Amino acid sequence: MTTPGEEASVTSDFVRSYVITGGRTLPAADDLALHTLVTLAPDRTPPLGAGPEVRAIWTLCAGGYLSVAEVAGHLGLPVGVARLLLTDLFEQGHLLRRAEPPRAQNVDRATLEKVLNGLQSLIG
Amino acid sequence: MALRRTRKELEAGLGEARGDVGQLHAHVAALTAQHQRDLADVRADAEASTKAVLKSAMGTLQSLAEEQQVLLDSLLKKYGDTTDVLADLMTVDHTGSQFSRRAKGISVLCGGWLGRRERAATVYDVARSAQGRIKDFDRVSVHSQVNVSLVGKAVEPVAVVLAELLDNATNYSAPGTPVEVNIQTVPAGLCFIVDDAGLGMDQETKDRAAALLSVDGPVDITGLGDPPRFGFAVCGMLAARYGFAVSVGSVSPYGGVRAVIRVPESLLAADAPAPVADAQDAAGPEAAPQRLAPVPVVGPSHVVGTTSGGLPKRRRRGGPVTVVPALDAGGQEETPEPASEVTASRLGAFARGTQLGRTTNTTEGPDHK
Repeated sequence: MTTPGEEASVTSDFVRSYVITGGRTLPAADDLALHTLVTLAPDRTPPLGAGPEVRAIWTLCAGGYLSVAEVAGHLGLPVGVARLLLTDLFEQGHLLRRAEPPRAQNVDRATLEKVLNGLQSLIG
Repeated sequence: MALRRTRKELEAGLGEARGDVGQLHAHVAALTAQHQRDLADVRADAEASTKAVLKSAMGTLQSLAEEQQVLLDSLLKKYGDTTDVLADLMTVDHTGSQFSRRAKGISVLCGGWLGRRERAATVYDVARSAQGRIKDFDRVSVHSQVNVSLVGKAVEPVAVVLAELLDNATNYSAPGTPVEVNIQTVPAGLCFIVDDAGLGMDQETKDRAAALLSVDGPVDITGLGDPPRFGFAVCGMLAARYGFAVSVGSVSPYGGVRAVIRVPESLLAADAPAPVADAQDAAGPEAAPQRLAPVPVVGPSHVVGTTSGGLPKRRRRGGPVTVVPALDAGGQEETPEPASEVTASRLGAFARGTQLGRTTNTTEGPDHK
């Protein structure tokens, strides 16, 4: 690593996550579950002094519903950190949230085939 | 006659003796000088070999610290949804960052390297990175109105120097008092200004700081006290090596110390780096995240690759909703649309209908309570 004149490259995350949270206590997972969908409330302006992460969330959520997990993935942040930032925005009234969609019920194959046939005769 | 001869002999003897004494003096002086030189050489050799050993040892510690931080990056993401574990990992990460800063400081004083960041970073991120490397990071607030970035090679050194200044500021002011970082552009570049609310520095400390900050060459690490105070020496070394300036002489508006890092224009990047979301997605409209609504995915979504975060990257079909035929044009089949587009448009209409039923009514939010 210390070869003269040659510097090894450093790849760890430059801004550590505890700085992004400001050392605050992380919200409980059930406040905004992994699959909860969030979107920007209409006619909102970003809070003053919003950091790059909040501005990125703003851009991400402006176009429609995204899950908490997706927001965290796109920001490249741990889910808990993204959840804290989202909780802030939610409490300030900037975000709307919706519970995760219920799991689809298993439908038997015969019904699915009937629907498929019906659709095909309708638009095929 | 005999007396005169004796006197002459005596005078000659005296002259000879004086000459000898002079020679002896010169010899002693030469020997002393030689001794001093030898001593200095031995000291320099000892210092150099100590530094070489320390540098290599610190290099190993630096690599390990970096390895641990990379590992923590992945662990933080892996356990991101388990709040308790995440919080504990963050405290470990915080300790690791401080450890890494110390190792880097000693390494720099021994002529070692910091490690280079490949990407430019915004000055705001540089300040936050520095903040994360000290103990009382939560007392520090960063204010930046400028959207400027530092070039890759200056990112790490400026962050390390700023961290040392923040460490001083938090250590020499009362617990709980705020420490501020303000970032401002100046005609010759850009300034990071660190203000604390401590008692300020006495003249002796100021002189010591000024001497260490303006150093231009190797620093005598054995002269830094016990326990050693590396901070200013590290700042001075890095500033000289990378071509920026550090000063700590002035008084902060809160009565404490004001420390300033002035970064010349040559170390500022021409363009701001891409925002976080884009950086993850390798920018471009097709890389925009897929959303459930209001833009339903119509037809097969084309997976065109994987983001650096491991998420599938899809290309969205252009404007699926807009191809729904207008109501008054219903039944007219003359429009030469490919069958797949028609199917797509009908599915689009269907998706739009279901979405209409899913929007605001069931939405929970402060506005809807």
